[in-house]
Amino acid sequence: MASSANSNPVPKLYRSVIEDVINEVRELFLDEGVDEQVLMELKTLWENKLMQSKAVEGFHTEEQAALQAAAQQQAQQSQQVTQQTQSQQVLLPQQQQAPQQQVIVQDPKILQHMSATGMSAAATAATLALPTGVSPYQQLITSQGNVSQNVYLKTADGQILQVVRAANGAQYIIQPQQQMVLQQQVLPQMQPGGVQAPVIQQVLTPLQGGLPQQTGVIIQPQQIVLTGNKVQQNTQVMQMAGQAGQMQQVQQVQQVQQAQGGAAQGAPQQQQQPQAQGGAAPGAPQQQQAQQMTQPQPPMMLQVDGAGDTSSDEDEEEEEEEYDEDEDEDKDKDGGEDGQVEEEPLNSEDDVSDEEDQELFDTENVVVCQYDKIHRSKNKWKFHLKDGIMNLNGRDYVFSKAVGDAEW
Amino acid sequence: MAYQLYRNTTLGNSLQESLDELIQTQQITPQLALQVLLQFDKAINTALANRVRNRVNFKGSLNTYRFCDNVWTFVLNDVEFREVTDLVKVDKVKIVACDGKRASYTCVMILLFDQLLDTPHL
Repeated sequence: MASSANSNPVPKLYRSVIEDVINEVRELFLDEGVDEQVLMELKTLWENKLMQSKAVEGFHTEEQAALQAAAQQQAQQSQQVTQQTQSQQVLLPQQQQAPQQQVIVQDPKILQHMSATGMSAAATAATLALPTGVSPYQQLITSQGNVSQNVYLKTADGQILQVVRAANGAQYIIQPQQQMVLQQQVLPQMQPGGVQAPVIQQVLTPLQGGLPQQTGVIIQPQQIVLTGNKVQQNTQVMQMAGQAGQMQQVQQVQQVQQAQGGAAQGAPQQQQQPQAQGGAAPGAPQQQQAQQMTQPQPPMMLQVDGAGDTSSDEDEEEEEEEYDEDEDEDKDKDGGEDGQVEEEPLNSEDDVSDEEDQELFDTENVVVCQYDKIHRSKNKWKFHLKDGIMNLNGRDYVFSKAVGDAEW
Repeated sequence: MAYQLYRNTTLGNSLQESLDELIQTQQITPQLALQVLLQFDKAINTALANRVRNRVNFKGSLNTYRFCDNVWTFVLNDVEFREVTDLVKVDKVKIVACDGKRASYTCVMILLFDQLLDTPHL
């Protein structure tokens, strides 16, 4: 079974625990009149989250491989069919869409994140396994009606973008290859999770010469998907683009795309994007040049960070303002109690909070276990622990016994 | 009753999150979710006790220690965890350890109260 010399006991242990729990609670579920289907869904959710956390090595790799192989076959077969028969999310008249669309999965993280919204394991695997081919976004979308999902397609040439999102009000942006007209509508939507996802559809007037590509920005409440890797929320961008005209839109999209490599995903980008929007228009001319130079790459995405980022200043200003406000509040509190108004900001420097530069991971390393014996002699401590689960540097480990020494 | 200690692990947290999602979509009741978690506690305790057989050594400097309610909490710095196979270094680690003796006083008292009050222990 184990291909490596050192077989990691963690995946097997977790699998066995999952199986035990599921089997034990099956009876409970039936007693409450809950369908077996829900039990299976629980199991799937549980396993998916474990996979996403990447805390376990080699978890479900075999299953993933099998699912990916199956999904690839399905994807290839159903690519063309699904595109034209999509019912839920038809953004634009499909006439305009080029029949050749390739999906490039560039960032597995996004896909994984997508799966967090509730996609089935198969769909997730299919998404992850998408090669340079058309992605069967239909499959992904149809998983859950009330869950917004983002599927983006990007041709190898970067010509076509499609973002399909199954939300309360389906929204997606499709980018036709050339000279396609995209209608944009701003539809603010509330996500199940309570996150507003303004969706903006861009209206791109037919390009006449000039820009070889038209790009659209797809906004999703949970994630922002850029043609390519990133997921961004660009409601403002869209608006700006619409106002500024196509050129700017394309430029922005391309820049965004380019910036994918360098920019962080997720919240930081989202915050920056609204601000970046303001700087997008002035930076459009610059973007044009950059875009032209990078046209060989699929320049579909807006770059709102990296070289074209103009929001950092705004961010910093905002952060500083907030910080000042907090300081003022603290000062007021202290002023009420003591006369130590000035010490609060001084004391705040005493914090030893230098953790960010030390670890790549955000995780706090935790060991959860039981103790057999804790011994101390002067300042020398000895620990005898057992049955523990450790999360170190983002990875999970287990032990049946642990012995340690430390000096206080 | 088994320790609920292991709920704050990758495995336990992912289970709790999954259960929360099902509760939100009203596919299960909170009571049922609780039962699942209790079952998880039993399963993980048993699995760790019976299915894991490896030993780890570690060494570092002790930053803080706390002993309260029969639970030790340590924070160590610059720690090296050594197993036969490999070595893991971390700058900071928090260790939470419950009493390893099976019939912990705290657990027994909780069970007694449950029986008296006829309330499941949350």
